[in-house]
Amino acid sequence: MGKLDVKFNGFELKNPIMTASGTYGYASEFNEFIDVSKLGAIVTKAISLFPRAGNKHLRITETKAGMINSIGLENVGIEKFLETKVKELNSNNINFVMNLAGSTLDEYVQVAKFCNKNNIKAIELNVSCPNVKSGCLEFGTDEKSLYELVCAVRNEYKGFLIIKLTPNVTSIEALGLAAQKAGADAVSAINTLKGTSIKIDLVNGKFKKTIVQGGYSGIGIKPVAIGAICRLYKVLDIPIIGIGGIETLEDVLEFLAAGAEAVQIGTANFTHPETAEKLVFELEEYINKNGFKDLDELKKKLRE
Amino acid sequence: MKKIHKAKVNKIEKVSASSYFIEIECKNKVEVKAGQFISIYCDGLTLRRPFSVYANENGKIGILFKERGKGTKYIKSLNVGDFIDIAGPFGNGFDIKNKKALLIGAGIGTAPIAYLKSKLDEQNIENYYVAGFLNKDEIPQGMIIDKTCTDDGSYGEKGSVLNYLGVLINELSPEVIYACGPHIVLKMVSEFAQNYGIEVQVAMEKVMACGIGVCRGCVIDVKKDGKIINQTVCKDGPVFNGNEVVWGN
Repeated sequence: MGKLDVKFNGFELKNPIMTASGTYGYASEFNEFIDVSKLGAIVTKAISLFPRAGNKHLRITETKAGMINSIGLENVGIEKFLETKVKELNSNNINFVMNLAGSTLDEYVQVAKFCNKNNIKAIELNVSCPNVKSGCLEFGTDEKSLYELVCAVRNEYKGFLIIKLTPNVTSIEALGLAAQKAGADAVSAINTLKGTSIKIDLVNGKFKKTIVQGGYSGIGIKPVAIGAICRLYKVLDIPIIGIGGIETLEDVLEFLAAGAEAVQIGTANFTHPETAEKLVFELEEYINKNGFKDLDELKKKLRE
Repeated sequence: MKKIHKAKVNKIEKVSASSYFIEIECKNKVEVKAGQFISIYCDGLTLRRPFSVYANENGKIGILFKERGKGTKYIKSLNVGDFIDIAGPFGNGFDIKNKKALLIGAGIGTAPIAYLKSKLDEQNIENYYVAGFLNKDEIPQGMIIDKTCTDDGSYGEKGSVLNYLGVLINELSPEVIYACGPHIVLKMVSEFAQNYGIEVQVAMEKVMACGIGVCRGCVIDVKKDGKIINQTVCKDGPVFNGNEVVWGN
């Protein structure tokens, strides 16, 4: 067992550095930059019951401190994922969490059944999808919907179940507690913030507007993420995985101090694709250099 | 080989009224196919900026760019001797055929086409290169072109490259067309090629985040086997069969 181990109940990471869903594909693409097997785990693109083509309009734009995306959960669907991608991940020795998205409770449950049958060790529920049956309100913004969803998935899936919480709510603690009560093993926080970018050009006396509405991510959301994790840490018993604008070792330490047991690197993978591997090395070096016994001791001291 | 490189700026110079040439050199020689691109980390910006390669001799990489926003402003501010962080080469590049070729470049889209021309010349493949610019002052110094068109007629033929396409196809009977430029130019070139039954390869451009096909931010609609599917400009492209691209408006 290494110094950086993170032992969740039923799922282990060799270090706390993970990569966030939607920013790492199915991992093989990053082999040309780093040795992905060195990471704690990667989280796959969101997988739905059937393949999804995603959105049509302009999908990404840069903002002052990050970016906005509206990809629309384009993915290969669960069957193809199981057929091709899982094999590839396993043969490359990559520890992974499958992110799962759906439009109805039934869709989540069906995908969860596939995962259970195929021994997928860990899944992360993307609950920022509109719930078609309850007026398209997102599952993750309504305690009752979230509770029912997590209970239904829990019932069919015996592996490690993570709920990815959205920050676009009044009380993230209430949603975290609902997930915990329904049997989740962990929460990850935060998903992207809702945002809109309007870029304006004045061409020949006329305004040309480029609008991208979607999820805001990157360094700008870090304080929102840390705030959410601090609040969740006060009320939850299950572990928290921190996400939101992490780029440097200092960022990782701040998330650990706030109460995160592990972290996910997202947008930074686009800016510097070697970020996650670099953070593993830097964290290990930091622990050794400063004489901490292991990651657990570092966390304890950071939270004193 | 790992695709992240620290690169030293060898040269940076203004080569037309609004375009600049930068030559960078990495410790390890980087071989780039015509039509492939590299992405440059621009200090403090979240998204790397992709650039088609304009020249690639002895492992050095040359790029042509215009100052259009924060990224290119940063690149313009670089000095000889500065180090920058580049990733790549990425993308498929042109599929060079041993066939008589018509090359079409418009605006900054002339960069990958000029590089392609040098590759065709190297392989003694017969080719004819038509390039279009706004005006005389926009023509990059040193670019070798067979026919130049300017919108205002200040140099070469007056008007768009598209005006001369029909005539050129009839005169030259090319077996393949390679093109890069604004969306509308690529759309029209592809339509011409289709009408004449000529193979056409177009290098596309789109805002991208990852450059390696994972974020799915730069997809376009492409017809494959009768079905319309998403393909990424960064990984499946940037070069597409012009007859397979769903052009829209």
